[in-house]
Amino acid sequence: MSANPVEDPFWRRLVLNRFVLVPALLAVAIALWNVYVAAHDHGIVAGRVVDGAGRPVPDAAVVLWVLNFTTYVEKTRATTDSAGRFVITNNDSHNIRLAAEKPGVGRSARVPVRLYFRAQDIELREPLILLSAS
Amino acid sequence: MHRYPRWPIHLALIGVSFLMLIPFYWVLKTSVTGENIFAYPPSILPKSPHPFYYVDVWYYIPFARYFLNSIIVSLLTVAANVVFNAMAGYALTRDFPAKSFVLLLFLSCMMVPFQATIIPAYLITGRLGLLDSYLGLALPQFSTIVCIFVFKASFDAVPRSLIDAARIDGLSEWRIIWQIMMPLAKGAIATNVILAFIWSWNNFLWPLIVTRSADMQTLPLGLARFLSYQEDTTGALYAFCIMVLAPGIVLFLLAQNEFIRGLASGATKG
Repeated sequence: MSANPVEDPFWRRLVLNRFVLVPALLAVAIALWNVYVAAHDHGIVAGRVVDGAGRPVPDAAVVLWVLNFTTYVEKTRATTDSAGRFVITNNDSHNIRLAAEKPGVGRSARVPVRLYFRAQDIELREPLILLSAS
Repeated sequence: MHRYPRWPIHLALIGVSFLMLIPFYWVLKTSVTGENIFAYPPSILPKSPHPFYYVDVWYYIPFARYFLNSIIVSLLTVAANVVFNAMAGYALTRDFPAKSFVLLLFLSCMMVPFQATIIPAYLITGRLGLLDSYLGLALPQFSTIVCIFVFKASFDAVPRSLIDAARIDGLSEWRIIWQIMMPLAKGAIATNVILAFIWSWNNFLWPLIVTRSADMQTLPLGLARFLSYQEDTTGALYAFCIMVLAPGIVLFLLAQNEFIRGLASGATKG
């Protein structure tokens, strides 16, 4: 932007001012965010279940709770494969909790998971650790 | 060259500015940490900040809908304020019979609180069939006396000879306002825009009365609804406040020079 507005063409003065540029930048940021959300909102929650020694636990039941206004209610369940991995594909919440359990091995703590938007695809960094009650 | 150093004044002003910003900082900090405001000892810096309270607010209530409603109502209010206040302000710069009486009437109307005129305002809006509509939400704020005087002060500063020259050139009063006066009153326009926007944006009582459906509610009503839904709202409540305040703050920061210029001209030439 030039200091002398007389030399600037009209379109330049119309477009290159803070009243246009700031809303335009905000609009671009919002559009990019929406594109990102649209590409990552398949409701996939994936992770691993291990025992206290860090070994994968196959056939463990993983339960997903979602926040129903003020309380968490069970939404769905999944079972781990031979590598201890699980994949839940129908999460539609942004505020969930996960827990795993396998009879004879133990159960994990209920882990809160906060998402940046509903149905965000996420791979848990930390595995769910089954600990025996004893 | 100043006769005395100015840095002590600047230092004092910076200190006062920090004091003024503390409540804003506290709200912002609580919105990203959820720390209880009554926690003792208070933590100055946020511990483990996160944006999830903002996500909660977005999904707990139809925030986008309320935001859109507030935007539409505020835009209507701002546009109407600029047009009507400019016309009224220009009229008050002209000479006409009983002008002093009209000015006195305007000034005396400023002392009547809005609460006292709610019932007639509601009845008129209802007769017009505008209840539960955007136009009905914006209608009572279409013109404000303070902003009329801001325009009047700005127009009074325009040399009379310029208006006479425009009239000799054949311009109508309407075109004199929009082609001669308005380009010279940018400060007054900015002041009108900001004041009308903030008053409309923060208005609670009139939308509470005039809206019937949840879809027509604005952000201040959304805040009340949010408070009635949620019990533990420390973080989310403050996040909501930030989300409601942000557009007004952005608008003020964008137009603060014009805003202060307009208010100063209104203060000295009213």
